[in-house]
Amino acid sequence: MNTPATDIRQLNAFVDGELDLAAQLELEARLKDDAALRAQVERLRNLREAVRSRADYHAAPDALRRRIGAMVAAQTAERTPAAAAVRPAAAEPASGVKAVLERWFAWRPLVPALGLAAAAIFATNLLLLPARQDERIEQEVIASHVRATLAQRMIDVESSDHHTVKPWLSSRLDFSPPVYEPADSASALLGGRVDYVDGRAVAALVYRHKGHVVESYVWPASQSRASVKFAEEKGFHLAHWARGGMAHWVISDLNPAEFSALIAQLSSSD
Amino acid sequence: MTAANRRFEAEVLPHLDAAYNLARWLTHNDEDAQDVVQEAVMRALRYFGSFRGGNGRPWLLQIVRHTCFAWLKENRPGEIVALEDNDDAEHVPAPAGDEPHTAAARNDERVQINQALAALPIAFREVLVLRELEDLSYKEIAAIADVPVGTVMSRLARARALMRQALTPESRPALRAVVRPLPNGTQS
Repeated sequence: MNTPATDIRQLNAFVDGELDLAAQLELEARLKDDAALRAQVERLRNLREAVRSRADYHAAPDALRRRIGAMVAAQTAERTPAAAAVRPAAAEPASGVKAVLERWFAWRPLVPALGLAAAAIFATNLLLLPARQDERIEQEVIASHVRATLAQRMIDVESSDHHTVKPWLSSRLDFSPPVYEPADSASALLGGRVDYVDGRAVAALVYRHKGHVVESYVWPASQSRASVKFAEEKGFHLAHWARGGMAHWVISDLNPAEFSALIAQLSSSD
Repeated sequence: MTAANRRFEAEVLPHLDAAYNLARWLTHNDEDAQDVVQEAVMRALRYFGSFRGGNGRPWLLQIVRHTCFAWLKENRPGEIVALEDNDDAEHVPAPAGDEPHTAAARNDERVQINQALAALPIAFREVLVLRELEDLSYKEIAAIADVPVGTVMSRLARARALMRQALTPESRPALRAVVRPLPNGTQS
């Protein structure tokens, strides 16, 4: 089989999550009918996983770290009066204890720097991971929502009664999603379906709010609780949070004010 | 301590591991990588005024990459081959260096992957390292390698095709044929 080069680039970008939504949807549609293309994607994913998990990551050796720390500190010392005051004393022959103390004080500016460096590495790693994950899930939620809207197939169990929707979903999932039933007449539960987000089957609840479709995706989260975060992309508003061990992602094309009002209601309801 | 230095320590020094990892993969050698990183950090300190804030990692990596290539040009000019970034498969250079599948390595995927990655031509190696080991976006990689995003895409695609080929020599990939010399003594 001969795949054109542009396709191979597209497949790579697809695996890297770097396609825009339109191209992503188009490729996903093609993947559905093309087993060979699917196999290629699978191979790329395997390779990507293998390189990520098996290739050596060369961390900076301690000696280099110390040298660079000293270098930066030396630059700093040249500009600080305090360090200048220490220097003439260091030039004199010093007694043993004094020399040790001076050496300690000369190195002291490095200690917070190294500590800070270590803490910052830890913090950036910790911070970047969930951010990238959120971004990926956001793309998946948008894609699911757009697909459902385009295909006009949003609802598998049609009911405004959460006593109908919840058991239906529970029987098809390995968890029981909280189903919010709107109290006022501005919004209504239309039904639900099972969808696939973040590598697992999730509950998708469909509401109508002031004439707009609102979808809420729910699945068991790794965090038991997380505050509401908003995002906006391609004209959609998204909000996500975790509560009671469930991740909630809500998407709609409502206007921002109404959307955040609705989210305030949803996120405090279950 | 001046404010600029404190900022440097807080925003640039945390990325020493990333800097070293890139330099180590580009130079293949611990000592050279250390020299390159030290030189790069010195430059970074000098140019820190031009750092516009944001993520310090791609910024530092761009300097490391630049320092690396200058160093390679000086010390190992053979490493840097001009690449034609077109989509013509015939122009893909074959992996340089040792054949990645010796008998001892055959069972060790980690060794195989490291060797295959190390054997990639430098332009492909750098994009793959930045993508898979540093998890940078296409845009960030384009800025670091100083090429358009489209070129990053083709180089990544090519890098992976070469990797796959090096890792599965028996099952010729259906993906595409990439020209590569046959192992010594093999008849076609």
